[in-house]
Amino acid sequence: MIQLKNIERTYKSGAGQTWVLRRVNLEIQPGEFITVMGPSGAGKSSLLNVLAFLDDQWTGEYWFREQAAYTMKRKERAELAKKNIGMVFQSYHLLDDLTVMENIDLPLSYKDIPRSERQSLVADTLDRFRIVAKKDLYPSQLSGGQQQLVGVARGVIHKPALLLADEPTGNLHSEQAKEIMELFRELNQQGTTIVQVTHSEANAAYGTRTIQMRDGWVVGDTANPNLSPANLTATEPRDAAVNR
Amino acid sequence: MNGLLQDFRYAVRQLRKSPGFAAVAIITLALGIGANTAIFSLLDQALLRSLPVKDVDRLVILNYSGSNTGRLQSRADGHFYFSYPMYRDLHDRNSVFSGMIATDFTQVGVQWHNQPDLVGAELVSGNYFDVLGLQPAAGRLFVTADDVVADANPVVVLSFSYWQRRFGSDPGILNQSVLVNGHPFTVVGVAPPGFHSVVMGDTPDVFVPMMMKAEVIPGSMDLEDRRSSWLNIVGKLKPGLSREQAEAGVGPLWSAIRSDELKEIKGGSENFRDRFVNKSQLFVLDGARGFSPLRSDVQMPLLIVMGMVGLVALMACANVGSLLLVRGAGRIREMSVRYALGAKQKRVIQQLLVEGLLLGLAGGLFGMLLAPRVSSVLITMIWGGGTGDLPFSAKPDLRIMLFNCGLALLASLLFSLAPALQFWRPDLAPALKQQGMTARSGPLRFRRISVAVQIGLSLVLLVGAGLFVRTLHNLRSVNAGFATDHLLTFGVDPRMAGYEPDRTFALYQRMFETLRGLPGVRAVAATNDPELANDNETGNVTISGYADKPDENMQVEQPNVSVDYFSTMQMPLLAGRVFTDQDSAGSQKVAIVNESFARHYFGDPQQALGHFVANGGGKGVKPDIVIVGVVKDAKHVSLREPVTRTVFFPYLQSPELHAMTFYVRTWQQPESAESTIRRAMQTLDANLVLDTFRTMDEQIDNNLTAERVIALLASGFGVLAALMAAVGLYGVLAYSTTQRTSEIGIRMALGATRGSVVRMVMFEVLWLAGISIAIALPVSLLLMSAVRSQLYGISSSDPLTLGLTIVVVTLVAIASAMLPARRASRVEPMKALRYE
Repeated sequence: MIQLKNIERTYKSGAGQTWVLRRVNLEIQPGEFITVMGPSGAGKSSLLNVLAFLDDQWTGEYWFREQAAYTMKRKERAELAKKNIGMVFQSYHLLDDLTVMENIDLPLSYKDIPRSERQSLVADTLDRFRIVAKKDLYPSQLSGGQQQLVGVARGVIHKPALLLADEPTGNLHSEQAKEIMELFRELNQQGTTIVQVTHSEANAAYGTRTIQMRDGWVVGDTANPNLSPANLTATEPRDAAVNR
Repeated sequence: MNGLLQDFRYAVRQLRKSPGFAAVAIITLALGIGANTAIFSLLDQALLRSLPVKDVDRLVILNYSGSNTGRLQSRADGHFYFSYPMYRDLHDRNSVFSGMIATDFTQVGVQWHNQPDLVGAELVSGNYFDVLGLQPAAGRLFVTADDVVADANPVVVLSFSYWQRRFGSDPGILNQSVLVNGHPFTVVGVAPPGFHSVVMGDTPDVFVPMMMKAEVIPGSMDLEDRRSSWLNIVGKLKPGLSREQAEAGVGPLWSAIRSDELKEIKGGSENFRDRFVNKSQLFVLDGARGFSPLRSDVQMPLLIVMGMVGLVALMACANVGSLLLVRGAGRIREMSVRYALGAKQKRVIQQLLVEGLLLGLAGGLFGMLLAPRVSSVLITMIWGGGTGDLPFSAKPDLRIMLFNCGLALLASLLFSLAPALQFWRPDLAPALKQQGMTARSGPLRFRRISVAVQIGLSLVLLVGAGLFVRTLHNLRSVNAGFATDHLLTFGVDPRMAGYEPDRTFALYQRMFETLRGLPGVRAVAATNDPELANDNETGNVTISGYADKPDENMQVEQPNVSVDYFSTMQMPLLAGRVFTDQDSAGSQKVAIVNESFARHYFGDPQQALGHFVANGGGKGVKPDIVIVGVVKDAKHVSLREPVTRTVFFPYLQSPELHAMTFYVRTWQQPESAESTIRRAMQTLDANLVLDTFRTMDEQIDNNLTAERVIALLASGFGVLAALMAAVGLYGVLAYSTTQRTSEIGIRMALGATRGSVVRMVMFEVLWLAGISIAIALPVSLLLMSAVRSQLYGISSSDPLTLGLTIVVVTLVAIASAMLPARRASRVEPMKALRYE
């Protein structure tokens, strides 16, 4: 489904550069439930941003469903993301001034979907996530777990092929975290490919594959036991073509 | 104290760190304070300030009700004007006034060392300076003895500024002789500095005793004529007496005087006689600010301008307030750090107040520097064409400046307090991170209200600007009824050069011949009643065969004009003929009437021909002047005033002629003919004083001064208001989009395009503008209906002006939203989300 070849990402810092992703090579198959782990500053969120097409300042090759995303224009990538990718955030990122129903409707409102169809999709999703009773409440009237439930519902309403979750349970207590993870498993079993970033081993256990990162490098991958940190740190990064 | 100094230093550093913010805030305050101080200074001088004389609160002005007859020479409501015998009766026989003075204003020719000078003169009663309690700057002022016998005491008192201007403050001029209208007058003294006249707005250069009227206004033999009303009366109440008591006390005397006068009036209906005595009352009005025809002229324009400048000042305050708030909001983290490090509430608030105080002081200082310049520009705009002393000073009154500065300080302190309230009970943990999903609703709501107020005020000001500009345009587009281009005008009064009436005609004939012979001159004409000069020369008329209705107003305009008047002015002839050289003193008296006259009295121009008219009314008057022509209507008093019924007489048949206004139609630009004409007239007689030279276009400009000033200021204030609203709107949007960075990031992460983000910001703007316009529009309509009298050819709710203003305000709103909208659309979702 996704192929990353030698993806690199740097930030300018003072006079020099800070590397946040270094020669990342990764292949994601449809239906996988991948967990990205690593200490703070390892590059987990940066990798997720690249996958979500939120970032476009990287170099390397990014293939999405056989399409060379790295050659696409910004607008085309945004269109690709809008159709195929859903996002779930650690801080839920619900909009305070919108009700639960309106928040869930938000991704659909940016697509050319007729209003009646959108309403029906929102109703289905509310039903599926069992939050129909909460549809007219505002985020501030919900518990953290409920808010993240809405966040997940919003992330999958447009039936994305890939769901990206950045620390989805980071702000939740264990019971709520468990519920969310069960939900992820269910979605994955229904065919959604999931990539989650987490510090939690318990959450990682829900996944089918775990990738370890450190200082921008992918240093471990349960799908690739031969990957060793020692083999990666010796060489300097090569020059890479700049993406459009 | 040490803390305060430290806060002050820090405030200076803060302002230097944000020069853009500091400049906008200071300029906004300076404009608000400067314009306000300047306009209020003029308003104060014109409408509020008392005369600089002793016991000013005891001064009163006399006015009366009831019918009137005879000759009336007035610059304002005729009921302010009295005859000299009436003044004498009131002065001698009253028991309520400790003093009573008479005054009249005119122009005279003053010659000193063979240099003629046309100056303003005030004819005053001998007790004038004594009653006003004034002391001379040099020499002596008039005493009662100077004004007892007619033509006996040719003495003159100079105004202080004329003494400075013309005689270099030389005390040697005292007891010297100067020629006034060719008559020798002795300069006896100089009036005190700062005093112009008891008539506010008049700036006479010389004061002359009333008994010298015949010399000052040659040909006026009406000192003893009860039917000639021409002077104003100012009284001084006896100590302890109220105006009401004085009015009651003088009532019987007034009735007695009117009864006596009625005996001298022949004819008149019962109704007239009843109104003349029984329904006539003498009013004792507050005179502390002086009688002033000027005041009634400038009152409405000044009040309108003051209203506009008040709105601008209000906008300035709202603008600075919102600027301070946005700054405050951006400093939540700084203030939270201060709190976290142990600062007390008092200290944090003090810091903000010191910054506000500093802004207020700077704005006030620049405003004070600006105010005299604004005043000066306004005075030049209004009285630029005048000569001599100006009635208003550009120097702002200290009280007004201090008051306005105090107001600015108070406003900036108040607006410093508003952001301070944000830090009253800070929520330190999130504040230290200075983040938020959406904007803090409190300050944002205030800023939105503040911006809505600014948009609304700018709409009100722009509607005003639109209506006043269109009024000016409509007035300029009015067909005057004669060709106004290539026309130069100037006045001349031969009496000021010592000409007796019998020599005046010959002089005018020579002037016509000389002027016609000048190169570039197409035609020359003259009248004793100039066009579009805010001036009229009316009198009753009797028409043969026309039975006037009871109490019908038979007053018509009665100018005496030269032979070529209609061809020079290019006033089309509708019927009959124009005047010829044969229409002279010995021949059949003739007249030409205008279309309005002909249609009113005869139904049709042709029908008017051959009818007889006469000057004056009453049973003894026999019409013996035949109407020989009818000309098309032309505007006379001003472009705004409706056309008045007019009878033109040939000046050659006038029994006596004095001042005339000449019109010279030129081939080239009329301005270029001025020096040639001056030289030619100088050659004719070096003593001739030529009054202000103007082109007719300048005359019209002068005629439209009030409209021009209002239109110009309204446009200026409208643009300023729109700019301020734009800055305010930009500020609020920049702030709210910054606060919404995270929200925008989320929306974009969820699929929002840049276009949809721009639309979102624009929607906020249009919503805000829409609400403001919806509220401000009825307010505008209400305010504009209050100034309806100042509009011309346009309704106060003119849909085109309102529509255009709404479009302009909306465009300004959209323009000011472009940058924040663009910035919002450039939000990188990844960066925005990282703020968490």
